[in-house]
Amino acid sequence: MRVSEKKTVIETKALTRIYSLGDSEVIGISSINLEIAARELVVLKGNSGSGKSTLLSLLSGLDRPTSGELKVAGHDLIKAPEEQLTRFRREVVGMVFQNFNLLPTLSVLENVCLPALLAGGWPEKIEPKAIDLLQWLGLGDRMAHQPAQLSGGEMQRTAIARALINDPAIILADEPTGNLDSRNGQLVIQLLAELHRTRERTVIIATHSNLADAFATMEICLKDGMITDTTCEV
Amino acid sequence: MRSLVFFLRLFSWFSLRHIGKHWFQAMLVLFGIALGAAVFTSVRLSVHASLRSFTSSMNHIAGRTEKVLARPGGFLPESLVSAIINHPSVRNASPMLSGYVQHFGADKEPFLLIGIDPILDRPFRSWQIAKGKPRKVGMWLDLLKEPYTLILGGALARQYGYAPGEKIKLEHSRQTVDFRIVGVLAPENLALAEGGRLALTDIATFQEFTGLYGKIDRIDLRLQPEQTAENFQNIVSTLPPGVIMSSPSERRESGQAMIRAYQLNLSILSFASLFVGMFLVYSLVALNAASRRHELAILRSTGASARLLFLIFLAQGTVFGLAGWLLAIPISSFLIKYLLHGVSQTISTLFVRVTVEQLSLNSWEIFLSFMVTIFISVLAAYLPAREAMQVSPKEALSIAEHSEQADKPTLRLAGLGIFFIVLVWPLSKLPGYAGVPLPGYIATLLLFTGFAMLSPWILEQLGKALAPKLRRLGGMPAYLAGRYIRGSGNRTAISVGALITAVALFVSLVIMIHSFRQTVQLWAYQTVSGDLFATTKMGEVNQFRYPLSPEVIRTLTTLDAPVDLVPNRRYFLNYGKFPYEFELLDVVTFLRYGSYVWLKGPSETAIHRLISGDGVIVSEVFSNRTGLTVGDLFRAQIETSLVELPILGVVRDYRTQGGVVFYAMPHFKRRFHDPKWGGVRFFLRNRNQNLDAAVVSLRREIIEKCGDQLGMISGKELRQSILKVFDETFAITTILLFIAFVIAALGITTTLAVLVLERTSQLNTLYAVGASFGQIRRMIFWESILMVIAGETAGFLCGLILSYLLVFVINRQSFGWTFLYGLDLKALVFSLPLIILTALMAALPAIRLVFRQPPAMLLRER
Ligand SMILES: Nc1ncnc2c1ncn2[C@@H]1O[C@H](COP(=O)(O)OP(=O)(O)O)[C@@H](O)[C@H]1O
Ligand SMILES: [Mg+2]
Repeated sequence: MRVSEKKTVIETKALTRIYSLGDSEVIGISSINLEIAARELVVLKGNSGSGKSTLLSLLSGLDRPTSGELKVAGHDLIKAPEEQLTRFRREVVGMVFQNFNLLPTLSVLENVCLPALLAGGWPEKIEPKAIDLLQWLGLGDRMAHQPAQLSGGEMQRTAIARALINDPAIILADEPTGNLDSRNGQLVIQLLAELHRTRERTVIIATHSNLADAFATMEICLKDGMITDTTCEV
Repeated sequence: MRSLVFFLRLFSWFSLRHIGKHWFQAMLVLFGIALGAAVFTSVRLSVHASLRSFTSSMNHIAGRTEKVLARPGGFLPESLVSAIINHPSVRNASPMLSGYVQHFGADKEPFLLIGIDPILDRPFRSWQIAKGKPRKVGMWLDLLKEPYTLILGGALARQYGYAPGEKIKLEHSRQTVDFRIVGVLAPENLALAEGGRLALTDIATFQEFTGLYGKIDRIDLRLQPEQTAENFQNIVSTLPPGVIMSSPSERRESGQAMIRAYQLNLSILSFASLFVGMFLVYSLVALNAASRRHELAILRSTGASARLLFLIFLAQGTVFGLAGWLLAIPISSFLIKYLLHGVSQTISTLFVRVTVEQLSLNSWEIFLSFMVTIFISVLAAYLPAREAMQVSPKEALSIAEHSEQADKPTLRLAGLGIFFIVLVWPLSKLPGYAGVPLPGYIATLLLFTGFAMLSPWILEQLGKALAPKLRRLGGMPAYLAGRYIRGSGNRTAISVGALITAVALFVSLVIMIHSFRQTVQLWAYQTVSGDLFATTKMGEVNQFRYPLSPEVIRTLTTLDAPVDLVPNRRYFLNYGKFPYEFELLDVVTFLRYGSYVWLKGPSETAIHRLISGDGVIVSEVFSNRTGLTVGDLFRAQIETSLVELPILGVVRDYRTQGGVVFYAMPHFKRRFHDPKWGGVRFFLRNRNQNLDAAVVSLRREIIEKCGDQLGMISGKELRQSILKVFDETFAITTILLFIAFVIAALGITTTLAVLVLERTSQLNTLYAVGASFGQIRRMIFWESILMVIAGETAGFLCGLILSYLLVFVINRQSFGWTFLYGLDLKALVFSLPLIILTALMAALPAIRLVFRQPPAMLLRER
């Protein structure tokens, strides 16, 4: 693991998440110690079930750990009350999912504006920004469409635009290429890499494909919920 | 066989497990359909119990009678018996007198005393004295030998605790006398009539007791076998004027027809609850089909045929119907306790006297309720099953959420809905048939269906028009709710449709009951005016057939109190099959204090001609039922006279048994015969005194001078009791209404709950992109507000149209009356917010379901 002299945005100590299913317990992740500096592009690798999604759900504030310490961009996510978590999700992180998770009743443009509107922004200010983002992502002519009318690649690009609308410092992508063909998968990875390079975001991509390897500035390998030092074999 | 086993197994894998996982909604739906089925079943069973008791009473009293001789509204001379018994075509004849009397000093519930000639009656009716210890053959002959003896019905003997040999004091309008009890009737045949509340005595004793010397009610006949029409005509031609020969089945059938029509009317009202329950099943099965589209595609791609999927969903409906019906059994047995009494009470006041002692479990009624419940549930599942059938196996390959309802042709559906609503107009013009307003009911169904079809379009428009405003009003949650409602299509429309139905029922029934009550009140104060009403004791149950005695009349006309008297005589007659009252009264005095509520008129000449005895006025019910109206000739045999008079006007009248025809009493006496006074009403001349106190002293004076001979009721009490009967009659309606509403609220709860569960990943996404818990809860809440607003507005409109149908079409066709239409603004303004509140409360369980699954589930691969 490289220790960067740059400012640390993510810091975990002995981070553990155990799922209890009735009387049995399943380990999601166990004793993860991490320090991630700003403006890294982290590739999080590991087999299915190794704990990638669990780690991302903790980093994004969607879930709370069973034990350990977790600080993201100055927020102590262990102690943060619900309101602070909401603010954290609005302002600090942007998320991209394997199955896109666009709201089917909203248009593409509305989907993109949604997080900013939820945060209480003015539509007059948000819309031009969303249009800019969509044009940059090559979706200028798709703005009034319903998600169901888009292709998989277009849906994922819409989701990326949505993740960016609140200018988050960190982008978390969970298997963003998992439901895409290789050409579209490549395009999405290139876009995320460009975000990292030109817009100076911290990007974490959980994947078990090799598409992102070329752009990685840091690689973390998970096995059975723990970080392994041996090279990743996926 | 193998395939059936496989089907059941697949059904349990695919459907039952899913239902088990979402047991909460399934329970709500079950409860809804069970309530509907229970109401339907218990209402029908209650009416059936009345019908059965009426029929068996009529049959037991008729016995083996083939023909009955009687004189409408009057009595027959006893001498007719010997004349008819010798007629060659007549095999047996038996005279009979019957009337209601009461046990002195005990409860005031009258029972039937039947006077017969025990020997002549043997071929007609079977009855037995219960086997007691001192039993000797031919004990019943004691009736003949000894005056003032009787045989007591089992129920009465039990109720009052009498044994043979003891004395019982009976009270009739004329006198109170001790009867010796010769025996108690064994519970069979005749003894079962009137629920065992009857007693037999010798006809001569009856005549002496009631003062009807030489008179009888009717003569029952059995004819020689192989009668020709000629012989028959021969008997009729020997009868004195005014005596009519009929068969016992006629009276029974006309009574049965009225009860059956009432049963149908109540069934349809209670069917409304089942109808709303059907919406519930439809919504759950449809949501199942829609939300499990992907799974269906997978099933299809692994080899399941389209037909199999169709059957699986149909089976879901069947299971709901079956389980709902089973659950309905305990609910019904609870409901029926309340309905049984209320229904028989209503039938007794509205149509014919019935005594229901217990519920009879009729297998046909139970089969019917089973079939109807299953049919409704299967029908509800049919459309979703069709939709499931059309899922193509290809969809198994796609991952994106399939929003198949995105472009449903809501406008086309709305067009069809409007067409249905427009059809209501011509339908409301069609006549009903035999007291059953079939076109009215079809119009109602079309109205509901039409509005239900409009609801997706209404929601879409509501979402479109309001979304921008909602953002200003309720921020982002409201805006998102508007967008969701707009795009959700059929899903929300279904439960909005159920809400429309319930609100429409509510609004229309509130308007109808209010209009009805206002009009009845007006009628009671104008036409049932009078400060004190007096008649012979038990006058009404005995149909006023025992007139006041001349001494009583003399006393009443020479009272000290300054009063005006309006004597009257009421005859209970039939016009064809339709029962009505012919009421004679002193119109001149009556019109000084009271008036009629005119439907057609009043013209000065009509009133003038009524006063001078030129014609009759008839009630709206009479006019509607017989088709006779102003200008037509009214014709009737009344005691010994054939009355033929033109109809001068039509008035509103809400007395319960059939219609009324009014005529001036003095003119009747002059033109036809002396009708005698059946009763009299008193008007205090001085209206500026304390009327209540004056009535009390008037009453005291009458009792002082006549003794306890009369049944008296103050006008105030009478009018109050009329309104009380009215309110009790509508209590049943109110219960049904309430249940329909509860079911609709359950519908909202289910829909919202399913909508929440179905959108779990959408709600989690909202959370992930920055929505707070509060924002998401508020969004669900706004969704329910929008649904409630849409349902309530459309339901209100639908209810206004329905109230018109109820007041002017359905009531007219089933009861013959209409009312002065009046909006009960107070009740509506007060209750509509209450409905909104209830419906919103129904949203709470759904809101609690939000985030039953943690948002992190978003990251789980599906
Ligand atoms: N909500 C949950 N309940 C129970 N077990 C879970 C849950 N989420 C994840 N797990 C378990 O935790 C482990 C890690 O899962 P996950 O983080 O999804 O791995 P990955 O994303 O690398 O495939 C797996 O064994 C998985 O079964
Ligand atoms: Mg994962």
